[in-house]
This record gives sequence, structure tokens and C-alpha cells, in this order.
Amino acid sequence: MDDGELDEVVNEFITESHENLDQLDQELVHLEHNQDPEVVARIFRTIHTIKGTSGFLGFGTLESVTHVGESLLSKLRDGAFPVTTEITSALLAMVDAVREILGSVAGDGSEGSLAYPELVVRLTQLNDGPAAPVEPEPVPVVAASEPAPLRAIAGGAAKKPRKRAPRTLPVVTVSTAKDDSGVLVETESLDDQPVDTVGMLGLQLLEDHKISEDQLAAALRQQDDGDTRRLGEILVEANALSPKDVREGLKTQVEDRPTANETIRVDVSLLDDLMNLVGELVLARNQILQFTQNQGDPSFNATSQRLNLITTELQAGVMKTRMQPIENVWNKFPRVVRDLTIGCGKQARLEMEGKHTELDKTLLEAIKDPLTHLVRNAVDHGLETPQQRLAAGKPAEGVVRLGAYHEGGQVIIEISDDGAGIDAGVLRRKAVQKGLLTAEEAAGRSDRDMLNIIFQPGFSTAEVVSNISGRGVGMDVVKTNIEGIGGSVDVQTVLGRSTTFKVKIPLTLAIIPALVVTVSGDRYAIPQVSLLELVRLDVHHAQSGPNGQGGGGIEWIQGVPVHRLRGRLLPLVFLDEVFGGDQTTSAVADREAYNIVVVQADDHQFGLVVDEISDTAEIVVKPLGRLLKHVDAFAGATIMGDGRVALILDVMGIANHVGITSGERGAGRHAATNAEAADAALDRRRLLLFSLGDRRLGLPLEAVARLEEFRARDVEISNHRPVVQYRGEIMNLVDLGEELRIPRARVDGQPMQVVVYTESDVSVGLVVDEIFDIVEESFEVTQRSSVNGIQGTAVIQGLVTDVIDVRGILDAALPGLLARHTTNRTSEVAAA
Amino acid sequence: MKILIVDDSRSMRMILKRMLAGLGYTDVAEAEHGGDALGKMGDFVPELALVDWNMPEMNGLDFIKAVREKREYDRVKLMIVTSESSPRIVYEALKAGADEYAMKPITSEIMDDKMQLLGLS
Repeated sequence: MDDGELDEVVNEFITESHENLDQLDQELVHLEHNQDPEVVARIFRTIHTIKGTSGFLGFGTLESVTHVGESLLSKLRDGAFPVTTEITSALLAMVDAVREILGSVAGDGSEGSLAYPELVVRLTQLNDGPAAPVEPEPVPVVAASEPAPLRAIAGGAAKKPRKRAPRTLPVVTVSTAKDDSGVLVETESLDDQPVDTVGMLGLQLLEDHKISEDQLAAALRQQDDGDTRRLGEILVEANALSPKDVREGLKTQVEDRPTANETIRVDVSLLDDLMNLVGELVLARNQILQFTQNQGDPSFNATSQRLNLITTELQAGVMKTRMQPIENVWNKFPRVVRDLTIGCGKQARLEMEGKHTELDKTLLEAIKDPLTHLVRNAVDHGLETPQQRLAAGKPAEGVVRLGAYHEGGQVIIEISDDGAGIDAGVLRRKAVQKGLLTAEEAAGRSDRDMLNIIFQPGFSTAEVVSNISGRGVGMDVVKTNIEGIGGSVDVQTVLGRSTTFKVKIPLTLAIIPALVVTVSGDRYAIPQVSLLELVRLDVHHAQSGPNGQGGGGIEWIQGVPVHRLRGRLLPLVFLDEVFGGDQTTSAVADREAYNIVVVQADDHQFGLVVDEISDTAEIVVKPLGRLLKHVDAFAGATIMGDGRVALILDVMGIANHVGITSGERGAGRHAATNAEAADAALDRRRLLLFSLGDRRLGLPLEAVARLEEFRARDVEISNHRPVVQYRGEIMNLVDLGEELRIPRARVDGQPMQVVVYTESDVSVGLVVDEIFDIVEESFEVTQRSSVNGIQGTAVIQGLVTDVIDVRGILDAALPGLLARHTTNRTSEVAAA
Repeated sequence: MKILIVDDSRSMRMILKRMLAGLGYTDVAEAEHGGDALGKMGDFVPELALVDWNMPEMNGLDFIKAVREKREYDRVKLMIVTSESSPRIVYEALKAGADEYAMKPITSEIMDDKMQLLGLS
């Protein structure tokens, strides 16, 4: 074999070995728990094959490492002794070593200077059976030994390392076999019509002795010099062979490859190119369709419809070739979990569901690291130690569950553990300690809001920073990475029971469905994944009363325009203002109607007010130019049917830009104002100002769900307490005047002013005299109060104002209502 | 001369095929395991089969036994090519009906020698 042929064999060897090794990790971990002779046999075979081939190719180190591994495996296969943790660790270390050597071979053609004397010794010792006491072993690390000369180990068998061009192009397998990792390229056409699929016709002809090496070389030179004809054509014209020979050559070549009928191997870069071309084709198609609409010619119309259909199918087909099952990434996790559990003395089982769920290869690569991090976190931070678990009445072995499924054009990946959950209280304390939040801010945040703080840079909840995860970097990077590919990550937790991370990512990045809108004469595209609904407000409705009772208009809360959509406040963003367009058309100016695009960014819903909503379209995402790249309101650009450019809106970027952060969520689900918070000085906060008699009072706006009016005759008595029917439920009323012992200025016949406070789905109505205003300003509680229910007194807008402690009052007035309800909820969850 | 390579490793098949080509044998077919080989032998009856020992589906030993059960394959020479070195395996293979036994890594010269021993070249 000459060097070129050898290279080819070596490449094949590397690809094949990697394919087998990927399975090995999983199988070894499986083996540790199930002594399955079939699996031992498979593992043995893989190592055996690698050893055998490395002997041929002169890779001495590889041969010596796999040799001892093979002997150990043959003992296991013969049942000489059972598989122990120690043995599994050593074998996994061997797999790592093999990978490392293969990596080196792929890089420069040599095995590199690494030798593995310690690993070889370790494996050799294990050949005599497992050592008696098995100490909890450190995470297996390949011994980084001194670079012993390659020949010393190889016993002189190694050939001189050959210089090879680095070859790092990744290759995906595309196949029709369902259980295979690659997917679906029909290759029937190859059989009907032989083509030079692998560019190796020359070699084939040479092998068949149809042409001489000189003839081939001459033809190849001709191609290099710019002759675009196929090799066969050139050779036929040079009278080197007959057309029949070419046909036969091509045919043998196809038949000769045993797997060619089912699968072909394609360079990923080729698929990338194809995807780009299809993207361009989609653009051209869109332009032609636009053009067609202006033409009356029916036959042209029919042709472009056909073009439309074919393009769509082609696009789907090409996208399919790039799809890979998420299994390809998940396969690494059993090993990760195993090493981690040993490293931190825990017990864990990994369960997977939906591993065949497919997504674009690029996306798969992009989520690999974030997912690995989340899985590590689940074991390291999520699960408790076996002792803690037993004490909590759970099985010693924890479960980490991976799930993947498609939902509405997105792939959802869930990583959950049945560990201790995340304690919002601990998060609050940490956040304050680390100076990320003030005590007041922390107290004012709902548990749900607090959870999201784990995604903030510099936040780590690990009590002890372990060497595995919890280095204070991580979750923020996870979030950034996932958002970088247009996805989102969300966390849910049940204290003491479980934590679930939900990662949503788009199926593909290149071509996405979007809604096209017009703002100040320019067109913009809003990705469909961010869209919730479209709302059109007629101008009569829009200009409703200032108290917002008009049911469907635009209201103003502290200078922020909002729309009350089915009872919930939706902050509005006037895009023309954001983009600095023509100010005269904005806001309350004389529009006939408001077009509101309701979008979702993260957890926040808000409305984008646009001039016109045009249509939905498949758009091809193009990166932004250098000058616009830093503008966070745009995610990219696209070319519209008429050939003009439209910018793609980044909904998340806009939300950040205009500062939509708390909105209705914070107000709606405010958690308890606890004692800690009351002690802390009040920082810049929003207060609802109201009166009781001649006293002026304030309560934190976060505690306010809604403001309502009730008539005296609506009030009923239940269980000796005043209640009203409110939204289909019975709501307790608490007269703040009574609770705080402040005489009320009662005016008969007037409706009662009620502040609705909601916590954990329980609403309570606080009856006050008059509601004045909502303010947001910095103030200081100058005087702490000893009166129950009053946090302290501050000067607000130049007037003395008592700030009340809502939770304190409610606990006194309705003892146990909120706490009891919370307990009920917990047990419901437990029962479910 | 028709030769069939039976080995589950793509790269190993490639190596052996190249080696045979170097010795002037180009009428070579490949099979991934014993079962595959038996299928291929339906219309490609080789004069020599190079058989790996350890393969999925049907291993080398079972393949040899299956071939030796069929009269029409009486003239097929079977050579085990493996890196298994235990005497037990050599014995089992020969007992089952293998004609020759070669250790991996096999060189071109040894291959040529073995061919001569089998009376094939």
C-alpha cells in the first residue's frame, strides 16, 4: 500500500473506531449494573477489533493499551470474576486513552508522545481479579504520565510516525436504517443510474486494470487545469477506455461498497452548502411568487406554483439530512452520571425518554455543552446523598430523567431530578449575600422569580464549591448558549421533591416561519416562535376611561401604556418609538386602530404595537452586518419577496431594551412579605397610596393583584366573616381600618374600594377608603413602628405615610388562611 | 481466484482487500459476518474465505461449521485470520474444518506463504 492508500485505511479505522467507542461508554456503564454476557461480548469485540487493526497499522501504544484491556475483558467474558466499579472505571479510562490516541492519529498521523504505563499496570493488576476492598474511587482520570518514547512501549513494532495533513472534517452518517444514528437519504437512484458518488472512479478503474496509472494521472491533471468534464468522459475521449468500461466501473464501485445501498457518508460541509443553496432557492422562490401575483399569465402561475411545491419539499428534504437524534448527545450522559456519582458519593439512575427526537445537527452541537452542564448539575446539586434521601423517605438511588419531544415547531428537552428541589429562601439569602439583590428586592420577588436568579452571572448555590460543578460559572452560560440559538430555558422546582429544567429550542435556525409587520413604513419580521396572538383595537375602545373600566382599551400605568387582555395587564411597546420613527404616529395620536402583536419573551408577555400586520412567510435568516450586530433589538435580516431587506426582530432583545421585567407577573404572584423584609430599609419601591379616615397609608405594589369596587349589598357573611363573590370564588374581605384600629370615613351608598391581594391563588380583599396613586420613589422608613401591621413610617411626596405589612395583617386577621392553603398545595402536589 | 473476506471491521476488510490486490488478487468480495457471508456465497462461491473469529450475528467458528456442512462448498478453503492467540481457539477452528490459521497482524509475505500452503498460488 502506498501512503495515499494507507491514509485512507487509517481514516476508515479512525471513523469506525469512534463509532464503536461511542457505544462503549454506554455499554460499560450498563454492564456495571447488569452483568449481561451479550454486552461483555460486544465490548470485547470492539476492543479486540481496534487492537487487531492497530497491529496492522503499526500503532504500538494503541495496541498495548487495548491488549491488556482485551485480556481483562476476556476474563469477564469467561465469567472469571464479576464486573466491579473499579473494573468499569479502569475500562472507561482505557476507552478515554484510546480516544486520545485516535485523536492524535487523526491530527498528525502519529500516536503522539503519550504513553499509558499506569493505565496498563492498572488493567494488568485487575486481570488477577478485583482488589479486595473497593474504596470510593476518584473520578477516573487518565494518568498523565511522562511522555515515554513510543517505541519503548511498542517494542519497536511501531512504524515511523507518518506526516499527514490534519483531517478534522466531521462526517455524519446518512442512512435509511431506522435504528441508525443518521437519517434518511433515499439512495435508490444510485442503483438505477450509477454516478461517481465517492469521486473514486479512477481508483476503481485502476483496481480493475482498465487504465494505467499514467492515464489516470493525465486525466486528473486535466481536471485540475480546469476541465469541468467528468473523469470518465475525459478518459473516453483520450481513447483510454470505452464508455462501457466507465459504466461498469461506476457500477462496481457502487456495488462494491457493502453499505452503499443503505447509507452513504457525506461531509457535513457539503450539507451546509446544500442548506445555504436551498436557503437562496427559497428566497428566489419567494420573489418569483411575488412576481407571479402581478402577472396574469395562468401557465406561468401554474409553473411557479409547482416551483413553490418542489422548493418546499426540497427544503424539507435537505433539512432532514441534517437531522440527528438527540440520542447522539445523550449517549455520553450515562458515563457522565456514573463518573459523577462516584466522584461525589451519590447514587443515581439515568432515565431517557424520546431519545429518537431529531434536531438539526448544528443545534445538536450547540446544546451539547449546556445539556451536559444541566445533567451534571442535576447529580451534583440536585440529588441528595443516599443518607439524606433515606432520611427524607426516598429511595437511596436518585433518578435523573431526560425527556425530549416536539411541540409546535420546537424541540423541548427536559432534564429533571427527584432531588431536594431548590429552596427559594436559600436563593434569597444568597442573592442578598452576593449583593445581586437588596433584601427588599429579594423579599419582594415571588418564589418563581427568585428561581430565575440561578441564571444570573456569578450566582452559585452550592454550599461547598465542588470540583465538579458549581464554580460560580455555568447556569448563566447555559442560558446564554441556549438563547444564542433562539431557545429558552426555564426551571421549575418542588421543594423536597424535584427540579426540572425545560429547554426549548427551534428545530432549525436557517429557515423559520415569521410574521411580517410594518412600522413607520419599514417592514420587520417577527419569528413565529415568539408569537402568541394578534389583537386589533378600534380607536373608540382604545380611548376608554382613565380608570381602565372600558374593557379593552389602552391604559396608562405610571407612564407605561398597557392593555387589559382578558383581565391581565399587557405592557405595550410602540415599535415606532423604539426605532425612533415618526413620532407623530405614535401612542395616542390619531390612529384608527391599534395592531398589537402579543409576544412572549422568556416568561414575559407584552404587546408590540405596529402600523400594519402583513402576512406570515418562511424567511431565511441572514446574519446582520457589522454595524447592526450590536443592536439587541434585531436577530438578523432577511430578504423579502420583492427583493428588499427586512430586519428580524429579537423579541427578547426588545424586552430588555424597554425594560419589561416585572410587569404583571410580579404583581400577580407576589410572595409573602416576610419579617426579614420588614426589618430592612425600604429602597426604591412602588407603593400604592390610599387613605383610611384621615391617615395616609401605602402598601407595596407587588402585593396588589387588582383594584376593585364592591357595593355594600354584594357583601355576604360566611363563617362570621364578610365575604364577596369574586371571579367565581368566595373572597374574604378584610377591613384595614378595623385591623389597624384606624377609624374609617364611612360614606354610605358609595361603593367600597378594595385592594385585591393574591398569594398562591388565594385572594383576599383589603377594604380601604380611597385609593390615591401609585408612586415609585426612593424613600426611607424613618420610624419603625411597634404597631402590628405597620412596617414603619416614611415621607412620600412630602407627606407622612404609614407603610403597611400586608402579610402580617392577613395572618392576624385570617389566621392560617394563607399558610394553610400553602400546605394544602404541597400535599396536593405530593399526592399527584 | 475468487476470495471472500469475512470481517466485521470495515477498516480490516479494507486492509485485507488492499493486501490481496497487492498480491494480484482482485476478484474479492466482502461480508460483515458469517450470516452475511453465507448469503453472499449464494452467487459468489470463493476458492478461499478469510474468516475473522470474533464477529456479531454469526462468528467465525459457526460460519466454518455451516460451510463445512454443505457439500457444494467442499472446495472452499477456509483461513481463519484473527488476533486470538489461545491454543484452544486454534484447535477449535481446525477441528471445525478450517484449513489454515493466520494471526493478525498478518503481513503480505505471510499471506502469500499461507496461499502457497493451501496450494492456491
